[in-house]
Amino acid sequence: MESLHPRIRLLWIAQGAITAIVLGVVLAGVDQWLADVPTAVIAGVVAVGLVLGIAYAVRLYQVWQFELQNDALYLERGVVTFVETAVPFVRVQHVDTQFGPIERALGLSSVVVYTAGSRNADVRIPGLTPDRARDLQDTLRELAVESEADDAV
Amino acid sequence: MNRLHPLSAVTYAIQYGFLWLWVPIVLVLALGGIFDPISPAWSPIAAPLGFLAGAAYGIAYYYRFEYGITPDTFDVASGVFARRSREIPYGRIQNVDVRQGVLQRLLGLAIVSIETAGGGNTEASLNFVSESEANRLQDQIRRRTAYVKEQRRTKQRSANEGEQQGSQRPTEPDADSSDADRTGAVSGAETDTPSDPTAVPPDRADRTDPDSTPVDGEEPDAERRAYASEPDRQRRQRLFDLQARELLLYSFTSFRPAAVAAVLFVFFLATDPIIDLLVATAQPVGGPQEIGEGTATNYGILTVVSMINGIVITYLLSVAYTFATYYDFELGRTGEDFVYERGLLQRYSGSIPVEKVQSVTVTANPLQRLIGYAGLWVETAGYGPESSGGSQSAVPLAEQSRVHRFTENLTDVETPTFRSPPTMARRRYLVRYSLVAAVIVAAVFGLAQVTALEGWYFAAVVFVAVPPAAHLKYVHIGYFVGENHLVVRSGFWQRRTTVIPYYRIQTVSTRRSIFQRRLGLASLVIDTASSRTFFWGTPTIYDVDLEDAREAHTAGRKRLQSALRERARDDDLGLTVDFT
Repeated sequence: MESLHPRIRLLWIAQGAITAIVLGVVLAGVDQWLADVPTAVIAGVVAVGLVLGIAYAVRLYQVWQFELQNDALYLERGVVTFVETAVPFVRVQHVDTQFGPIERALGLSSVVVYTAGSRNADVRIPGLTPDRARDLQDTLRELAVESEADDAV
Repeated sequence: MNRLHPLSAVTYAIQYGFLWLWVPIVLVLALGGIFDPISPAWSPIAAPLGFLAGAAYGIAYYYRFEYGITPDTFDVASGVFARRSREIPYGRIQNVDVRQGVLQRLLGLAIVSIETAGGGNTEASLNFVSESEANRLQDQIRRRTAYVKEQRRTKQRSANEGEQQGSQRPTEPDADSSDADRTGAVSGAETDTPSDPTAVPPDRADRTDPDSTPVDGEEPDAERRAYASEPDRQRRQRLFDLQARELLLYSFTSFRPAAVAAVLFVFFLATDPIIDLLVATAQPVGGPQEIGEGTATNYGILTVVSMINGIVITYLLSVAYTFATYYDFELGRTGEDFVYERGLLQRYSGSIPVEKVQSVTVTANPLQRLIGYAGLWVETAGYGPESSGGSQSAVPLAEQSRVHRFTENLTDVETPTFRSPPTMARRRYLVRYSLVAAVIVAAVFGLAQVTALEGWYFAAVVFVAVPPAAHLKYVHIGYFVGENHLVVRSGFWQRRTTVIPYYRIQTVSTRRSIFQRRLGLASLVIDTASSRTFFWGTPTIYDVDLEDAREAHTAGRKRLQSALRERARDDDLGLTVDFT
């Protein structure tokens, strides 16, 4: 099983921090216009949010694994709900590599695998180095072409 | 290329006319408020100008909209200023639907929509064409799809033979289709002459076909007449008719959420007269004389009576809607396609290629189970004309035993012996529903704090419903790992039993939430290409032992591979069209 690049934790922590800060801003807004919220409570909520975010990021990194098995791409992920997904190579419609602004700043990239299924957005492998992502994309494409099934969707 | 029916020019003109009518009015009003020289009084002059411009656009739209049948694709070119031309390969078409409203039926018009698997929209919509043209298109597209399929198979077969014999040259469909492209894409004209007689679909080899001779673009009229006068040429074989008794039972036992929306909509539209009416109906049994006067008992009676009225009206509306939608339902086959027709006021007809069917579902609600009836649905990857997405009703309602037999014939699944999740799962639902009940009680308590409501603790009766609810949810969950199929059953209110052939599996996932992990349970999600909809989720086996889930997971993956290999070898559809 292959793990993600350790730097992905920074991305997830950043996402958690953004959520915590947004929450803090909302609470400050409530304090300003609706009801009195003590500053200590706001600070506490933001701090707890940050700690939870960091814990979540660390745990998610520990859990996230993927592997190319002989017939399928196999993924394991999830902190609250642990999900094991198998994506048979025959079912791969196309493979993307993507990266967002924060990912680009961290030098990371994601591989997104599309199937004809209705849950296709689920199959996304984040936190890969750009080289590894391109490599994985090529491998998956070759495996998909090799095992192409002529059945109609 | 063909144009739409001339009457659609009129409808487009009216449609765009009224749409564009508002543009100058809004402009004049908005600008008139800002600039002095422009007066809002100009709108009576500006409005007709807008209408004329819109009408002109509508007519231009009609003249710029063209469609045609080419040997390989169905083409649509549209757009007045920004042109769009779209080619849909026959092999990708999921279904072709023909829809007719009341007015369109009187005028002999129809709307044809063509769906493929991709995207959330109809790929091509022709409104309107004449009835006979709609039938011709449906038939032509169906036959060409079958032809493409046949060619692909022949190619594959001869390739296989070629491997064995070493010398035989496989048929090349590309060669004659490019020939046809050079001859020009003439609508309805069979311009390609297949060199290999085996490539001719069976249903056209045995008869003289008017469109096998190349015709000019002006001639399809004769062809259309031929189609209108020879309906039996479609060789439709009847599979299932909804009998009057079944239609009535279906109307009365099923409920459509759309009815609730309709009733609420009417209520918001005309709140005052409806409230007056409700007060008037409640008066004889002890309701208040008028809103604003009367005792608490009066109001209580008014509330109860109004609720009963609301429920009865919603139910009757739902019955009427179902009746009108499924009136004269007919399912048949032509070649390897299912074709269906239904509707009282608005007539629908559509075709579903059997090879596009992803899974088959048997549904039954408590009432239908009580009288021993069930319905059969087939799921495809495209979007259907109904709100239920890619799910089409194959048999709206029939006796349970018949539906089960149909399902077994259609998918060739063995009679399933369902396995239940461990009783641990029932404990989970008990806890889950207790939480729901607690939330309800808390909400009533909150309400009692801000209003004069007394005796909030009576709300605790909802806890009585918790154990039966948990039990009912538990007993309706079942799954069966068959030889070639996975069968998943769940739901009390709308029990759905889905038969998924292994070769239709897209991905399999084992999911475990923290609560499930504590109890050693897991849920297995089997994703197929049939579109997930708002009401119908992805088929899921809920709360089974982790080991069983893992086993089913592995079985699904393994059998997908072996089923695909088998299918490649046997060229087997895996579905039987004559299932009734």
